[in-house]
Amino acid sequence: MTLQNRRILINKTVMVLSTAAAIGGIIFLFWILAVLLFKGFAALNFDIFMYDMAPPGREPSGLRNALVGQLMLVVGASAIGVPAGVLAGTYLSEYGGKKSRLARFIRDISDIMMSTPSIVIGAFVYAVLVAPFGHFSGWAGIAALAIMMIPIVLRTTDDMLQLVPGSLREAAIALGAPKYKVIIQVVYRGAKTGMLTGILLSIARIAGETAPLLFTSFSNNFYSTDLNQPIASLTVTMYNYATSPYEEWIDQGWAAALILALFVLGANIIGRIIIRKREGEH
Amino acid sequence: MLKKTVAALAVGVIASSAANISGAGASFPAPVYFDWAYMYQKESGNKVNYQSIGSGGGIKQISARTVNFGASDKPLKPRKLDKKRLYQFPAVIGSIVAAYNIPGIKDGALKIENRDLADIFLGKIKHWDDKRIAEDNPGLKLPHKEIVVCHRADGSGTTFNFSYFLSHISEEWADNVGIGKALDWPTGLGGKGNEGVSSLIAQNPYSIGYVEYAYKKKNGFSAAVLQTKSGKWVEATEKNFKAAAKYAKWSPKEHFYQILALQPGDNSYPIVAATFILLPREKSEMNKEVVKFFDFAFNKGDEDARKLGYIPLPTETKSMIRDYWREHGIY
Repeated sequence: MTLQNRRILINKTVMVLSTAAAIGGIIFLFWILAVLLFKGFAALNFDIFMYDMAPPGREPSGLRNALVGQLMLVVGASAIGVPAGVLAGTYLSEYGGKKSRLARFIRDISDIMMSTPSIVIGAFVYAVLVAPFGHFSGWAGIAALAIMMIPIVLRTTDDMLQLVPGSLREAAIALGAPKYKVIIQVVYRGAKTGMLTGILLSIARIAGETAPLLFTSFSNNFYSTDLNQPIASLTVTMYNYATSPYEEWIDQGWAAALILALFVLGANIIGRIIIRKREGEH
Repeated sequence: MLKKTVAALAVGVIASSAANISGAGASFPAPVYFDWAYMYQKESGNKVNYQSIGSGGGIKQISARTVNFGASDKPLKPRKLDKKRLYQFPAVIGSIVAAYNIPGIKDGALKIENRDLADIFLGKIKHWDDKRIAEDNPGLKLPHKEIVVCHRADGSGTTFNFSYFLSHISEEWADNVGIGKALDWPTGLGGKGNEGVSSLIAQNPYSIGYVEYAYKKKNGFSAAVLQTKSGKWVEATEKNFKAAAKYAKWSPKEHFYQILALQPGDNSYPIVAATFILLPREKSEMNKEVVKFFDFAFNKGDEDARKLGYIPLPTETKSMIRDYWREHGIY
């Protein structure tokens, strides 16, 4: 066998294997999506959005309280996590420098935090914000999700800002712009697509989390917008309902899963539309 | 003027927060607590948020004082209650059935001696047509199939009560496996929660497992006829559960510590179990709110409990519990 033939053979073998692996992955992805859409849409109705949870066998019942709770948790966590992550990422990229010990330390810590199992974060927040205060609360849930969010936003912001060429910064400084203007008007503008993608990914990531909420925001069978009280979330509700023996609860669990998937998908699409529109303007 | 407004606001805040009660614990009574809370909210406007996290979790959370009440299928001993500074009283009764899936054998048709049940779960009786089972069922055609044993894999109050029962009928069980919420099972498949065991039974022909009666009812399973304490055959029916519940000797001095397995009486089903509420002793104001809810449930919740497959507490027990509340100044 000539060298060329051998290389062609290896190339083809690897091609076949990697295509097969890709198809395998895609099959499962579509399988999950198909089951989710099929079961979710079958269970989806108007009542889900109009009414709160009800015991098995009671009508009408829905998921309104869980939807509202989920939204409050995600919005609250984003309000803390996004600014903190963006500012920290900006510090690392623009002020920290490559040789700064502090910057390196923060990067390492945030990498460790990103790979921390989310249940550990839940346990930490339980110990700090639930046990000492004597009650589960929406605030604790928000804190847990925000802690998960910060390292993700921080890392993507840092990476994206570093992709902006140094010559752009130099040009702006040469024109006499102060550093904060350089960062806001030049560096952010250049990196906004990547930053927004990072933020959206982090929101999608925390929106689907159950483990950090189990022992922080807990859950609530009733409608409540009081963040000092336990608050319902779609993920915990899904977890409880899916394992229940009652058919109507299991169905509503599927509806919750579908709504959550559509929310994450919707956030992604909206984000991309905004980016594209902005790019069209300039 | 300003002072008055602030004071009024403060009172308003306290009053409105007092109406939100949170509880957590045992999964087995969760549906009925939710149902009671649903009715209670309609009538009083107070929200009782009960979350099912398991008996072990309920004891932990009330000990840490992160909820207003805890719930457990396993009663705590008076000494432990003193140590953790808790009150305890029963809320509702349930029962555990030996549910089987043998094609062709109907609900209530199969008789299993209590001792044989222990040996099935020990893995000593391996086939459905074993001589010891066949002896008790002369009219049935038992298949020569291996018995698939199904049990809980998680920590469970149901397992605690079931193993308590087995330990009292089989020395070998008591010596080798014992009593507990999570056990070192000699044989069988494990499932998470009553629902996990239920689906194992449904999916495996020739299987047997133990589940709460509510799950048997819901899944349309067949339940074995077992024996009373004195060895009489007794079917797993609501009437026989109730007969057993009557014999419970509740003692408020012991904080109602009582395990209901193997009660005397000719119609007493052997595995019934009460589920308990735990209250923190120092929080008398909040306890009053929690007690109001259970008082409402005792007055108006019996019908709903029955519908969901539970046995309401007998009237005498309820008044005993009310005396207990009064004695501790929370009623």
